[in-house]
Amino acid sequence: MTDRYLVEPDMDFVKEVVGLGGDTLKKCFQCATCSVVCPISPDTKPFPRKEMIAASWGLKDKLVGNGDIWLCHNCGDCSTMCPRGAKPGDVLGAIRSYAITEYAVPKALGKAVNDPKKLPVLLAVPAVLFALLALITVVFSGVMTSIFDVIGLEWSHGGHDVLAHANFISTWFVDLVFIPLTGWVVVIFALGLKRFIRDIHDNAVLEGKTDKKEIDIKEFLQAFVRVLPTIIKHEKFSECSENKDRTTAHLMVLYGFIGLFIVTNIFFFVLYIFHIPGPYSQLNPVKWLANVAGISLIIGSILMIKSRLAKKDQSSTYKDWFLIGLVLALGLTGMLTEMTRLAGTAFLTYLLYYIHLVCVFCLFAYLPFSKLAHLVYRTVAMTYAEYGKRT
Amino acid sequence: MTEDKAALASGSILVVGGGISGLTTALEAAEVGYEVFLVEKNPYLGGRVAQLNQYFPKLCPPTCGLEINFRRIKDNPLIKVFTLAEVEKVDGTPGSYNVAIKINPRYVNENCTCCGECEKVCRTEIDSEFNFGMNKVKGAYLPCEMAFPARYVIDPQIIGTDDAKQCMQACKYDAVDLDMAAKTINLNVGAIVWSTGWEPYDATKIENLCFGKYPNIVTNMMVERLASPNGPTKGKILRPSDDKEPESIAFVQCAGSRDENHLPYCSYICCMASLKQTTYIREQYPNAKIYIFYIDVRAPGQRYEKFYKKIKEDENVFMIKGKVAEVSEDPGTKNITVVAENAVTGEKVRQPVEMVVLATGMQPTTAGLKLPADLKYNADGFIINDFEKGGMFAAGCANKPADVVSSNQNATGMALKAIQTLVRR
Repeated sequence: MTDRYLVEPDMDFVKEVVGLGGDTLKKCFQCATCSVVCPISPDTKPFPRKEMIAASWGLKDKLVGNGDIWLCHNCGDCSTMCPRGAKPGDVLGAIRSYAITEYAVPKALGKAVNDPKKLPVLLAVPAVLFALLALITVVFSGVMTSIFDVIGLEWSHGGHDVLAHANFISTWFVDLVFIPLTGWVVVIFALGLKRFIRDIHDNAVLEGKTDKKEIDIKEFLQAFVRVLPTIIKHEKFSECSENKDRTTAHLMVLYGFIGLFIVTNIFFFVLYIFHIPGPYSQLNPVKWLANVAGISLIIGSILMIKSRLAKKDQSSTYKDWFLIGLVLALGLTGMLTEMTRLAGTAFLTYLLYYIHLVCVFCLFAYLPFSKLAHLVYRTVAMTYAEYGKRT
Repeated sequence: MTEDKAALASGSILVVGGGISGLTTALEAAEVGYEVFLVEKNPYLGGRVAQLNQYFPKLCPPTCGLEINFRRIKDNPLIKVFTLAEVEKVDGTPGSYNVAIKINPRYVNENCTCCGECEKVCRTEIDSEFNFGMNKVKGAYLPCEMAFPARYVIDPQIIGTDDAKQCMQACKYDAVDLDMAAKTINLNVGAIVWSTGWEPYDATKIENLCFGKYPNIVTNMMVERLASPNGPTKGKILRPSDDKEPESIAFVQCAGSRDENHLPYCSYICCMASLKQTTYIREQYPNAKIYIFYIDVRAPGQRYEKFYKKIKEDENVFMIKGKVAEVSEDPGTKNITVVAENAVTGEKVRQPVEMVVLATGMQPTTAGLKLPADLKYNADGFIINDFEKGGMFAAGCANKPADVVSSNQNATGMALKAIQTLVRR
């Protein structure tokens, strides 16, 4: 420990954290109850007491690049036991939210995703895009067919004589939007992670949380493999006592997304490699997976909304509602699109499909800027903790 | 002090509660010539101070301060003491209150010489409230060694039993009167001082500190009784599970204090109490290790600060900044491990000790039981003094958490307030 330490508070940072749901942080009087009652906090340099004082003093650099804020699963045990109502769980949530916007470029987009006033603009982008693509598919299918013929590709994938969404917005268009979009997400995360990993390592070295000097890529990847079962089984989640009920909901949503990811990839190959266009039979096992995953997403997100509404002691801000709302909308429009298609109501099913695509776009494009980015950052932070033997 | 000074008074003063604040108020008012009625719900005077081993500022045993006060009461014809008495009703306005006081039967009259024959023959045993249930007393008992009035009590639990009859027959002085009944008396007083005091906060409510679950976790008030020569262990500090002399002890400060889930305020006394109890332990067990876990040590004033500094220099005393939030028991040894984060080093401390003392705070008696008078309370149950309205005043810990010194100062002030009410009528 140094004898003298000049605190240089970043007041804007404090204000932002307060605005993101950390409005209670100034109540903290550093009794350290939180660090002890936290079931997943390590014995060496435990959290969240040190994060509370750093936040209170506006020490942004000690927090944004601090891997510990991601080890927290916001179970709320600390907030329940806090003698001052300072809610460390919510404060760490707010800091995470701030950190996400710090690592994702362009920062302006990060700000917009966390600003309810910008929501119409964010929704308008995919809404206009897909409206345009629908217009082209429906009105200019002849033109598109001849253009694709010239390139030597098949516009309609062998044609759809049944009620198919591809007749409304071409699968070519859908994939031409989402494949580059996925690339964009990967690039943004890669840029963010490069800084993130370096920062959390530097922070760990500085605060004596690790004995590793450098990051060994091979060992790091091995740590990732070791930490995966913990994530898949939500082991850290179920160590919490106060909000244990969230585990099921969160697992349902995660598994829902994994299921849908698998389904989408299979059908992508089926379409482009085997040239079998959808819609696929409900008897197909892949379709079963898709339906189960979709229902899991809906139930999971409804459970999340229910528990958030019921919990008066945990703060829920725009960032939380944005994501849960989006997940629910995604699940609902997805399932309804399928059901209305099977029912044969063309207008309704096309409309729902359109909304569904807008939702998927929002999820993808805004992923690195929204709360959902925890998927990446928490995984990496947990991997780093495993790698650095931080237990 | 007892010579008849010219009393300009009209009316008299009622003091409710015979602890150190009530005694002071009563004496200060009576010794300047006012008639005082002192009402105490226990069968003895002295309140919480009577239960202590030593008290600040000079670490005197309670006999020291209380006996001189009892002597002054005895010698002063202006003070009338009612023990086992409770205020039932208060009507009226400043200057004239009609008060109904219920006096519960003691079943022992003034013939009692404290010979103890009744106690010898009595077979029923009850938990000693005075010693926080750490030992038993007989159904006929002397409330404490220096009980004032010095008179036995027959517990209502044995009334109607053969035991009670045995007690009566054993008494050579006709002091046991089993037909005694509760009675209500009415008084007219000009002013009332409420010195209703405090209760130790119920430590079982602090679930994560497992009081009541693990025997070797005790409260600070229990330590006072354990350390008192007239206590359940005759003054030897022994841990409850096996009466072993503890070699290591942890003090858990702010146990249920400064905590929104319990008492949101600082009780003022607990830090000094733990430092004081550290001296008890160091005196009895020179090699014992003492760990004090705190949020911040509050040693107000120059004298207390000096005391704190002295304790801190002791190489067997370890001060750890961090609140204990988790405890566990080793089922074999019954030792306790306390867990806290040392906020200075940023490391979690898991300290095994043989005994744990919870520094619980004080809760006003009026937090649970509202008085039958038109009084205002704050959110925590302390009585708010309304000096504008006047007539009724809260003194000592009925008004705010305080040590003996501050309580006495406050009580003197309230005696004056009461007198002012009488003379300005």
